[in-house]
Parts: sequence; structure tokens; C-alpha cells
Amino acid sequence: MASLGELERSVMTLLWESEQPLSANEVCEQLDEDLAVTTVLTVLARLEKKGMVLRARSSRPHRYAAVASREEHTVEMLNEVLGTVPDREAVLARFIGSVSESEAAALRRILG
Amino acid sequence: MELLALFLAALAVILAIPVPKLLHTASFRGRSPWAAMVLWQAIALAGGLSMVGAPIIYGLAPFGDSLPHALGGAVQLTLTEDYESLGQLDVHPQHIFALCLGLLLGGHLVLTLARTYFRVLGARRRHRQLVDLLSTPLPNTVDDADTQVIEHETPLAYCLPGRTNASSVTVLSRGLLNTLSESELGAVVAHEQTHLRQRHHLLTVTFEAWYRALPWLPTNRYGREAVLELTEMLADDGALAQYSPETLLRSLALSSFETASHRDAPGSALEVDEDVPATSNTLITGARLQRLLAPTEPLGKLAMFGVVSSSAALLAVPTGLLLLS
Repeated sequence: MASLGELERSVMTLLWESEQPLSANEVCEQLDEDLAVTTVLTVLARLEKKGMVLRARSSRPHRYAAVASREEHTVEMLNEVLGTVPDREAVLARFIGSVSESEAAALRRILG
Repeated sequence: MELLALFLAALAVILAIPVPKLLHTASFRGRSPWAAMVLWQAIALAGGLSMVGAPIIYGLAPFGDSLPHALGGAVQLTLTEDYESLGQLDVHPQHIFALCLGLLLGGHLVLTLARTYFRVLGARRRHRQLVDLLSTPLPNTVDDADTQVIEHETPLAYCLPGRTNASSVTVLSRGLLNTLSESELGAVVAHEQTHLRQRHHLLTVTFEAWYRALPWLPTNRYGREAVLELTEMLADDGALAQYSPETLLRSLALSSFETASHRDAPGSALEVDEDVPATSNTLITGARLQRLLAPTEPLGKLAMFGVVSSSAALLAVPTGLLLLS
């Protein structure tokens, strides 16, 4: 039996690859694993709470869609990290401006 | 009491301005980063204690000869609303003002620390959820440390601390795997895992919080940068235990490794209101590269003893004076 985390991943992958919103039944059918619809509904509810999927309430049964594509989420996630990376080139340039002749030779040897 | 307040005020000023200015460029930090780290932590605690303690002690001075006595007296008067004895005790408005200032400052520092801590926790939890959904485990990792790969072409690595070491994760990008050789990658992972193993995020959170609370104070600005730099040096040392400086330098030059744990990011996107200037986040500093290029001897025993005992004295003196007065 797959863990909830793994199920969340497979459900998300399914929704990312799907052209249109899916109902819990459809998700259940398309997943390889032999799962109860209630389990899929639990997973979908968790993903909705995490802000990863949107539920369309206008239709019955409710249909679920990914909030953003996989790539958009990756970019959002890495921006949180990259936003804090300093201008590395500026630091390196300033450093290289201050190194001695022997250190510069060592740098060239290492990086060259 | 007034003398003690004066002493604490002087200590607070010294620890707030000249000491951090000297220390953040002191060359011994590259030789023994742990010693410098201990000293910075002592400065942050002793500085905070004396900065809050000085006005409170001054304000309480007319109420009694010792701190417990004066505190008891002040509380008693407030509870009984006995304002007439204030005049008899020679309590002037400046004493009341100093008391309020000390209490507000102390409250501000403690609340900012709590707020920073919980914000970082929340941002980290949210980031972790995304990592869990978006990444794939790195195959054939030797140890049981959690290493995840994220599909992105920018070469980067960072670590995300969890409650325990087992729930912490190191994230590598596909671009990094494609750029670096196996040993360079090993050096990057060893660097990140040293951050996690030594729990560096706990050493930096106080400095992050003090900086947020009082960003104009030199000790907070220098301290935050210095401590971040020291954690990078310590993590470099962790990597150097297994890999050569050349390997580490090459991996540094080819990638951005970053410890998402160390500041509020992940979460900076949510915090436009408290923007931290990006220029101050120089993680790859000259001193850091210097010690990789031309390794220096660690501090001698005597110097090490001096640094550690002055750290201990920094902590013991204000605390002892406050308790014994």
C-alpha cells in the first residue's frame, strides 16, 4: 500500500498531465493502483488544502484540476531560494580583483 | 543600582557598535570559524541582555537597593496604586520612562524572535510540501540522508532542515547533476549535509530576528552577515573532511549553493513587507574563497582559550550582575 505522500504525488502527476479537470472517480480509474474512491477523495482534499488543486463545485460530481503546471510550481519553489542568492559574479569579480599573483595562479589551475 | 545600569549601558553600546565592526572583518574567523561563532553568539546574547537590562535597572533604582527588592517594591506600588510614595521614594518621570523603554524593548525582541521563528517554520513546511510533490529521490545515495532532485536547469543545491536530521532534505537541481562531476557533486552534498547536521539554522535564527527587530543597529547588520558567512565556512570544512579544496572550489564556481534554511526564504516571496536587501546576503565572500585557496592554520590553543573564555565572560558578567545585584 502506497503512503499518502506517494499517492499525492501520483494524483498530482495525473492532474498535471490531464487536459481537463477530473472527478475523483476518473482519477481512481486512471491510477494503476487498486484504490477506494474515498481514499482518492481524501488525497484530493489534502491537495486542495495545500493549495495544489482547485475543486469545481458547479458540477456533480465535483471535478478537480491542478492550480498551476508542474513547471510553474518548480519555478515558484526555486524562486524562493534563488531570490536570496547574491550576485555571485559581482562577489567573484571583487574577490578576483583582490587576490595575489600566486592565488590567481592557483585559481587558474583549479578552474582551468 | 545606578552604577550597574551605567555599566550595562556602556556594555550595550560597546557590544552594539565597535565590537561587531572589528569582529566582522577579524581574520581569525577564517582560521577557526567555530571560535568566531561562539563569540558572536555570546555577543548577541550579552548585548541583548545589557541593552534591555540597563534601562530597567535604572528605572528600578529608586525602588530598592537590590534588583529583587526593587522589583518587589515597584510591583507592590503599582498593585496598590500608591502614587504618593512615589514622590517619597524620589521616583522621577525619567525612571518611569526608562522602565517602559526597557520593557518595550525586551518585549519587542522576544516577540520578533518568536515571530521570525514561526514564520520560518511555516515557510519551510510549505516549501517542503512542494519538494515532496515535485522532486524525485536521488538514486544510489550511499547513506540514508534524504537527497531529492528537482527538474530545473539552473545548477543549484540547498538544504531544508526539518525537526530532526532524518526529516531534513538536501535538494539538487537537474542542472547541477548535469554540470558537476561525481566528486564535485559529493562535495556539494557534504557541504549541505554539514549545514543540516550541525543545525546551522538554529545558530542564525536569533541574528535574523535581531536584525528584523532593530535593523539600524550595527551589531545586528554585521552579526547577521558574519554568522551566515561562518555557517558557510563551517559547512565548507565539513565538505573538506572528504573532498579536496580544489573540488569544492570548482563546484562553488559552477553552481549556487544556498541554504534555504538560513533566512526567511523559503518564504521571502511572502514577505515583501520586510524585504531584506539582497546585497547583504553575500554567501560566497572573499574570506570564504581565500581560506579554500590558501588554507591557514587554525588558532593556537592559547588564542582559542582567549576567545572561548571571553565569550563565557561576556555571558557571565551581565547575567551575574543582574542576579546578584
